[in-house]
Amino acid sequence: MSPSPLSRLQTSRRGLLAAGGALAATGLAGCGASGRKDVTFYQSKREIFDHIKMLLAELDAAQPQYRYVHDVASNLSAGFARRNPPDVALQNYNLEMSRFRERGGLSDLSDMEEASRIRDDIKDLADWYPPYPGRTSVLPWSVAGAAVIYNRAIFDEHGLSVPTTWSEFTALCTELQDAGVTPIYGTFADAWTLNQGMFDYTLGGMIDVRTFYEQVTEIGEEVGPNAEHSFSKDWQEPIARMLELLPFHQDDAPARTYNEGNTAMANGEAAMLLQGPWALPEIAKAETGAEMGMFPLPVTEDPADLKIRVNIDLALWIPEAADQPEGARELVKFFMQPEVQDTYNVDFLYLGTTKDAPPATDPRIVEMQSYYDEARYYMGASQFIPNTIPWANYLQAIVFGEKPETMLARLDSDWASLAYRA
Amino acid sequence: MSETTSTPPRASTPQRSSAPPPKESPNSPKIDPIYYFFLFPALLAFTLAITVPAIVGFGYSFTNSIGFGDWEFTGIRNYIAVFRDEGIVGAYLFTLGFALVTVIITNAIAFFLALGLTARIRFQRTLRTVFVLPMVISGIIIAYVFKFLFSNTVPAIAQTLGIDALSQSILANENLAWIALVIVHAWSTIPPALLIYIAGLVTVPEEVYEAASIDGASPASKLWHITLPLVSGYVVINTILGFKGYLNAYDIVVGLTDGGPGVATRTVAMSIIRGFEGGDFGYQMANAAVFFVISIIIAIFQLRLTRGKASFGS
Repeated sequence: MSPSPLSRLQTSRRGLLAAGGALAATGLAGCGASGRKDVTFYQSKREIFDHIKMLLAELDAAQPQYRYVHDVASNLSAGFARRNPPDVALQNYNLEMSRFRERGGLSDLSDMEEASRIRDDIKDLADWYPPYPGRTSVLPWSVAGAAVIYNRAIFDEHGLSVPTTWSEFTALCTELQDAGVTPIYGTFADAWTLNQGMFDYTLGGMIDVRTFYEQVTEIGEEVGPNAEHSFSKDWQEPIARMLELLPFHQDDAPARTYNEGNTAMANGEAAMLLQGPWALPEIAKAETGAEMGMFPLPVTEDPADLKIRVNIDLALWIPEAADQPEGARELVKFFMQPEVQDTYNVDFLYLGTTKDAPPATDPRIVEMQSYYDEARYYMGASQFIPNTIPWANYLQAIVFGEKPETMLARLDSDWASLAYRA
Repeated sequence: MSETTSTPPRASTPQRSSAPPPKESPNSPKIDPIYYFFLFPALLAFTLAITVPAIVGFGYSFTNSIGFGDWEFTGIRNYIAVFRDEGIVGAYLFTLGFALVTVIITNAIAFFLALGLTARIRFQRTLRTVFVLPMVISGIIIAYVFKFLFSNTVPAIAQTLGIDALSQSILANENLAWIALVIVHAWSTIPPALLIYIAGLVTVPEEVYEAASIDGASPASKLWHITLPLVSGYVVINTILGFKGYLNAYDIVVGLTDGGPGVATRTVAMSIIRGFEGGDFGYQMANAAVFFVISIIIAIFQLRLTRGKASFGS
């Protein structure tokens, strides 16, 4: 070996020591001088980092006791497994999250005044996933209302109005096609967009999602072709209807991704996109000035069946194992202030969760509010299948031409297998 | 590795031959404890980070644990379910087939590239650098770049040229998506194989070829009767390492096809990790244990097949 790498090694080691010393010094200073306790706050929704950072800075300045550390990258499952979860979190509430709650990992917040301000139907929405008995473990903070995003200018140009029945909808699509306009922009390459869009919208519009899952959970291991309820049986009809939507998509839909869909909508390449409100700011980023609106996908002939797809975009929770439960509660109180919570929901196009939350006024989502207030909504059927079953992939296979019966039978057997080993 | 070879890999490292390893010398009475000292940190780290968690995880494969909170013993239910699981069996078949095809293609290309790059050619250094470059790019980035190429560039070119078969992205085709995976894996893993082959080829002494030329051997028979037998050890290394790597294929698959379209390209590693994320900890631990056993069986099989036949240069 030549001497140069060795000397480099020595310098770097010296450098490392110095850096380590400096780090230790600052660490000690940070702790000693301010005397604040560190509270770890987990929040991993990328689009809102800057906004959250600003709120945390505000909270830090408002009180002398705690310093809030913004954790954006830790693995939550690993944190819970090591009994070292964050102190508090503001996170998407889904099936994977609900496991921590179901097994008692989240603390009871029912004594907080903030908990009583949440709409009862929205509290109940959190309980579509298995709750932990006797606890209010999560405070829903924002709700996403998703439906069909449509380009208002294209609709106006062709003299179209928002359809309220399936036949009106297909007629509208045919009319657009005849005029040379792509009715729906498909992004099938990202399987999740199929789940969230055409699948959830058709299923939610045709079956009672909550009841169906209660039934198949009850049946468990026996779910299959001979059971009273099964995926093959109950989903056959909705899936067939969903597939009727395929001819209304552009030809290269199988190769297009979520981001491309947003760009295409901004450029007026298609009239509709089956996406949630999170796509609206992305569409706006292209700065084409294209005006969007939203309406629920009609899948039956009865306008009374119209519903929107909702999910708890963000919820606040504090783990049982939090080191700083008091500091965590301070944060919850801060985030639940109307000026903080409502501002977020208005700015980021979500729906409020409290009884006194102002209704949405942004023209892009304004049509969602009445459905939300009248509880004409469902949680996406795809949101109740554990990640361990690759349903999004099965669905993609169906859309790409596989027989629905084959994939639904597979889902039945996966579901039964899950119940068998539980 | 050395026990499978007929000659120790002496020739490949001529620069370091000045210090003979004491272990191999029969008349060195004592082994300097410094060697144990060198080994200890790595052994400790390996034990704590790999062995212990693996054993704990194996224990969890007999439970219904979700990786957190309470759990119960469920016996061998997880194992029974693994073998009944169409998705998992499918993932095994796909992964094995994919690894086999990729290892053959990668090694063939890497070997012939190495032949070219060890020959007396112009710009040898520059070319070697160019061919090794893919090695420094992380898999997920490679995957995203190729995803763009496959779904936009290739169809656009095909459309201009009027080739109908390629005018739709092959990533969206259940029957062709695996080819994209093979291409991208080959592209990114040819460099390490290439380096090993170059290292191997330079150990073949020039005199052997000269002697062969005097006897009138054709270039093809020189390759077949001299080069290949003399570097067979390197072929073994590349095949075993390559196969092992492709069995664990994950990052490029996730970035390129995400196991799709449908479940056409779902690998074993992917189902295991997705299962963990989905709170199916105990079950996927059982899957991982089965995968571990299968990997070991394959490795033993490969070693048996080549035992005593591998050579590392002259």
